[in-house]
Amino acid sequence: MAGTNYQEKQRNHKFSLGMAGIYAVLIAWALTTIYPLFWILMNSFKDKKVIRSDSFSLPLGELFTLDNYRTAFDRVNILGAYRNSLVISLSVAAAVILLSGLASYALVRYDFRVKGLLNSMVVAGMMFPAFATIIPVIRMMNVVGLANTNQIPKSLLAVILPQIAGNLSFAIVVLRGYIAGLPVELEEAAYMEGCNIFQLFFKVVMPLCKPSFATIGIFSFLWSYNDLFTQSFFLKTKPEYSVTVLLSLLTSQEGTNYGLMASSVSLIVFPLLIVYLFLQKYIVKGLTAGAVKG
Amino acid sequence: MSSNIYKNKKPVIFFLVPAFAFLAVFLYYPFLQNILNSFRVINNLGSSAKGWNDPWFANYVELFKDANIRTALVNTLKMIAATIVGQLGIAIVLALMVDNIKKGQKFFRTVYFFPIVIAATALGLLFNIVFLYDKGMLNQLREMFGAVKLVDFKDNAHAMLTMMIPVTWQYVGFYFIILITGLNNISDDLYEAATIDGASKWQRVRYISLPLLHNVICTCGVLAVTGALKVFDLPWIMFPKGMPSNSTWLTGTYMYYHAFESHNVDYSSAISVLIVVLGVVTAKIVNAVFKEKDY
Amino acid sequence: MKKMLAMLLTGAMVFSLAACGNSSSGNAPAQSGSSSEGSSSTESKPAEEPAGGPVTLNVTTTYAGEDTNAGNYQDAIAAWQEETGNKINDASASSAETFKARVISDFEMGSEPDVLFYFNGVDSNPFVEAGKVVSIDEIREVYPDYAMNMKDGMMGASPVDGKNYSVPVNGYWEGLFVNKSVCEAAGIEIPTADTTWEEFMEICQKVKDAGYTPIAASFAEIPHYWFEFCIYNYLTPATHNILPESVDDEHGKAWVDGISDMKVLYEKGFLPENTLSATDGETFQLFIDGKAAFLIDGSWKVGGIESSTDDIDNFTVTYVPGKNDRKSTDIIGGLSSGWYITRKAWDDPEKQKACVDFISYMTSDEMVSKFASVSATALKNGVQVDESQLSSLAVAGLDMVEGATGMAGAVQDQVTQEARVPVFNGMPDIVTGKADIATAVADLLALVEAGQ
Repeated sequence: MAGTNYQEKQRNHKFSLGMAGIYAVLIAWALTTIYPLFWILMNSFKDKKVIRSDSFSLPLGELFTLDNYRTAFDRVNILGAYRNSLVISLSVAAAVILLSGLASYALVRYDFRVKGLLNSMVVAGMMFPAFATIIPVIRMMNVVGLANTNQIPKSLLAVILPQIAGNLSFAIVVLRGYIAGLPVELEEAAYMEGCNIFQLFFKVVMPLCKPSFATIGIFSFLWSYNDLFTQSFFLKTKPEYSVTVLLSLLTSQEGTNYGLMASSVSLIVFPLLIVYLFLQKYIVKGLTAGAVKG
Repeated sequence: MSSNIYKNKKPVIFFLVPAFAFLAVFLYYPFLQNILNSFRVINNLGSSAKGWNDPWFANYVELFKDANIRTALVNTLKMIAATIVGQLGIAIVLALMVDNIKKGQKFFRTVYFFPIVIAATALGLLFNIVFLYDKGMLNQLREMFGAVKLVDFKDNAHAMLTMMIPVTWQYVGFYFIILITGLNNISDDLYEAATIDGASKWQRVRYISLPLLHNVICTCGVLAVTGALKVFDLPWIMFPKGMPSNSTWLTGTYMYYHAFESHNVDYSSAISVLIVVLGVVTAKIVNAVFKEKDY
Repeated sequence: MKKMLAMLLTGAMVFSLAACGNSSSGNAPAQSGSSSEGSSSTESKPAEEPAGGPVTLNVTTTYAGEDTNAGNYQDAIAAWQEETGNKINDASASSAETFKARVISDFEMGSEPDVLFYFNGVDSNPFVEAGKVVSIDEIREVYPDYAMNMKDGMMGASPVDGKNYSVPVNGYWEGLFVNKSVCEAAGIEIPTADTTWEEFMEICQKVKDAGYTPIAASFAEIPHYWFEFCIYNYLTPATHNILPESVDDEHGKAWVDGISDMKVLYEKGFLPENTLSATDGETFQLFIDGKAAFLIDGSWKVGGIESSTDDIDNFTVTYVPGKNDRKSTDIIGGLSSGWYITRKAWDDPEKQKACVDFISYMTSDEMVSKFASVSATALKNGVQVDESQLSSLAVAGLDMVEGATGMAGAVQDQVTQEARVPVFNGMPDIVTGKADIATAVADLLALVEAGQ
């Protein structure tokens, strides 16, 4: 890495007071973000009766129970649901990366007449609430025969397509900012060497965008994974359930069963975090590969 | 763009069509329907219209007369201010700090992300217990320090603050990730050169990091403003129906309320049109403000 | 015919074994198996028997999530599929607003289920108006014994045309839940069937003087239950369900007087200090934690209380004390959901009989008894509940319903959410005197008028 010298030089400096302050601030914020997750995990092992009245103590001794998880695993095929969720969210993330990459590149690098309008439309696209657009989408899915078929692949596709559109706007906005910051010189150099515009995009721009792709990929994945609303319209029968739909059906609208809710959230979040930690290696790799030198 | 490569405009179509085709089919067309719906009489989400409003723009007249809309707009403005100063501000500081440390970068990048992955229902419950009147975490703490009277964090005087703190906190990680991605893209050589020239740490941030982050910050500004306009889940769980006394409405929660609670889908559609218009306008303002700023 | 009965009996046995596993309850379904003979015998009557071969039914219900009957329902459909060889595609979900939107849009697009268990109030209007479900009368033309074990008058007629479209299973009641230990600590007697409203006010004052909150209620979020009973106090079971024509007529006055009583509750400090900013969940917790004595809520809350406390015997439910012509034993209750057959399935010769068969199975006396447990039913023969299976709170609920002298549905169910706003959302302003009660009621009635 080009920065090695620089970093070594830094390391020689004494661990300054300023550094200690920085770490103090960072750790303080980290505590606020770790604690809620810990709190949820902790309460998922407690009896639902004590969660509201005694939510800040550790689930030790008499407080400890696995009941909430038993209920979650009772009668349901949670592995099948994880599979459905993964298929949906990975497809959405992949499609969003590709489509938003193409569009953002053109929106940044080219000048054309309707560019301003398109940019505004992208921003507008972020503002459409899902419940304002869902009904026409359901109609379309019915017409093309993707909804209400009781066939898993079709139902999953019926969720994937609108979710791609729903995440595109955000992805384009983020990528636009990122690509605008890339030096155009690299592309010019490649152009001089005889690359055509498509080679330029796939061989030069895409690799440079890897870090940002990772970011939008993660967010698209997450939002798709957590998007109960769209999913609950298309995933109706048990074999079609995603994790989010399945667990939402365990906890009621009345919302009194906080224990079940805590275990549901744990079952939704922790596999995701494990996947994230695992993938982070690749994300960091992407970062190094994509770093612009100079 | 100055470059010659992009003089030939033909490939633009190839780049734009896939994404915009998706947007057109699954967002713009349905939203056009939504605009039409705002002129119709629709009671339930999913049921067909019972006819046209009389006059057809009645919902838009109502928007001007509705006191709750005014409350929602004022509160949303506060929320926008809170997101820009709070979310974005904190995120920038944290990102710059993390970028400047050597040990534990990965750790912080991971844990700052946590609040976004937790469903709003769970966070809502947590914060409800933290702010509970009789007696949540805060009131218990106050008691330990000798306070005698319980504070009602959800009353008129405290409600907005009680709502904004969790929302702000929740999304700091989101902007943090986007910003740190941008920071990582700044070459170490630049910093190195600056260090050799004798630049202090602060000068490096001021003259290298921030200017090069300019575009990304602008992006975050747009996201923050639009996010504040549509945020609804956490506020709705903590303060359903604009409680107390219709004082905590946001444009997002008010729209949700009319779509699902009051069975006034057409009015909800009109509110969503208002939100989109406001979103586009404020995004333009943000762009203008950030673009002109010269570091 | 014999085979059918045998199968039904087996099903009931299997079901009861799975659900209870205790011999005393094993008897009940066996006895009532014969009473459901009436409905099962219908199956041989229609001439066009399907050519055989299993049928697949698409079924949507609200028996999911934490619904007390989600487990019962799963057991029942498994048993029915086992027995008949038919298949069920179950698309049940918790009855959230999203679910309602899904059901309505399914009807709009012609992708409705074959059989639906859904609300029979205003929520069902869209598909009843569109003629997409079949009325009980029409079904009886072909299957004369359909739902004959139910009282027609209690089946929950559609608000659209007053006809019955659905066969109800379990209903609801509303009552005064009591935290016994708070009453004991405050040195008061638990209200009974004889307690009057005036006495109740004195009781509340004593609870307050003892340092407890008398009534757990969030007037900011859910003033609905107190609204219902306070108005009921100026009416009777016979007149409670009539909407006022204007704020000045007899019913309009009753509404204004009733809401005035709510204001009195607030002014006397009988509600939690933060009743105007707390959510219902928070005030409910006061009741559970022994900080508040009373709570008005519905039969669905029995399960909620059971799952929130370790000491269910500390809680009971009794009549909401009445005044004027309303006796304390006049309760609020009704049957709010039922089984529908959709027009689409009815017109499908392969599915018609299976739908009727399935609903008959799900609404037989023993099945309804199982599902209803503590809540009200429309059964002619009444429920057969094994009380030893129930908590003391549930038994108290059952006793309350049995001792009731009159029952009226909740009048607010006739008012759309949109029209409720002036009174329900405006409650904080009303009880603090910032808004005038008569004006708020008049505004509500104007919205009701405009909605028609």
